[in-house]
Amino acid sequence: MMDEHEDPKFEAWLRKAAGSYHSPLPTPREELWKRIEAARRAKPVIALRPWMRWVVAAAAMLALGIGIGRWTVNQSAVRNGTVVATTDTAQDQASQAAQPDIAYQVAATQYLSRTEAFLTSFRADRGANHEANRARLASQARDLLTTTRLMLDSPAGDNQRMRALLEDLELVLVQISQLDAAHTGHDADLINQGMNQTNVLPKLRSAIPAGPVPVRTQGAL
Amino acid sequence: MDESQLIARVRAGDSAAERALYDAHVDRVYRLAFRLAGDDALAQDFTQETFIRAFDRLGSFRGEAAFSTWLHTITTTVVLNGLRKVKRFRQRETDIDDAREIGITHRHAEPDLKVRMRQAIEALPDGYRTVFLMHDVEGYTHEEIGAALGVETGTSKAQLSRARAKLRVALADFAGEWTT
Repeated sequence: MMDEHEDPKFEAWLRKAAGSYHSPLPTPREELWKRIEAARRAKPVIALRPWMRWVVAAAAMLALGIGIGRWTVNQSAVRNGTVVATTDTAQDQASQAAQPDIAYQVAATQYLSRTEAFLTSFRADRGANHEANRARLASQARDLLTTTRLMLDSPAGDNQRMRALLEDLELVLVQISQLDAAHTGHDADLINQGMNQTNVLPKLRSAIPAGPVPVRTQGAL
Repeated sequence: MDESQLIARVRAGDSAAERALYDAHVDRVYRLAFRLAGDDALAQDFTQETFIRAFDRLGSFRGEAAFSTWLHTITTTVVLNGLRKVKRFRQRETDIDDAREIGITHRHAEPDLKVRMRQAIEALPDGYRTVFLMHDVEGYTHEEIGAALGVETGTSKAQLSRARAKLRVALADFAGEWTT
């Protein structure tokens, strides 16, 4: 049965007339292939043997441990500096200079923690009333999306890794924000598949400092 | 040689097979990138990025869907993300231009179909525009669009229907051309 909105004459005319919109040029095959080859050659490709993977994993764990350790020490130093600053002018100035960076770190950590909690709850949303929850999730996604875009335009977005993560999160949040109660669970499955393919949650978790949120931001402000 | 054999050879590091796979799909990838971006330089950048990602991630292609479907998922992700960045950048420029042009009157009526069609398509919401261009202009099926955009087939159909309805209103001046 024909849909009430269908109009084969209009659709045929539209298809023909729209053909002129952004009408593609002939594909520059050779030029593009050269660019692709050059770009791929420029990327370092290391083929890891199985035993090398263990070495790399161990080195990564070690580096992560050192990184967390240094970060924790820096946080303690900043905390101590803020307390002593009430009596020391030089330290006071240094502390004031460090404030914007610390503020962005705190904002980033809190934002990442909220987003991780949100995406985790989104993935777990398979209960009996998950359809009813969809509107609430979409609304939360819109809130986080606003923060994500602010973060992208803030100094936090200057860090390349953080920027890549924020862009991945932006895409996922846009998709979730467009869900509504009328959609079936298949949409959510596709979003989950996309999240799995881009490893967005593992990347997000690795970007969040260890410990509960109050500990991560304690003493920074 | 069928495509699964070609993919196996690419995975084994055969550069001739890489080129053959590229040749088989580059036209459709470039055409879609061009239709969505409307700019040759951007379309080339997006096509290049699509194939680099595809070759890098070929190990994760499990063959559950057609290779072309998998490749077009990468294409739409690359193009839509890229266009969003361009749009954000251009929006900043436009805001400045708008401030300069306050008080200047523009003529909105445009008798030329090509120009009116471009304006009408560009006024569509991004999702409608993408589905319309993929389906009505580039000939993708709703199943291919759903897989590429990560939406249900029904969503693709609904968005196409709404896009056509909006275009019908926007192009009502030309109604004589489709009613006769």
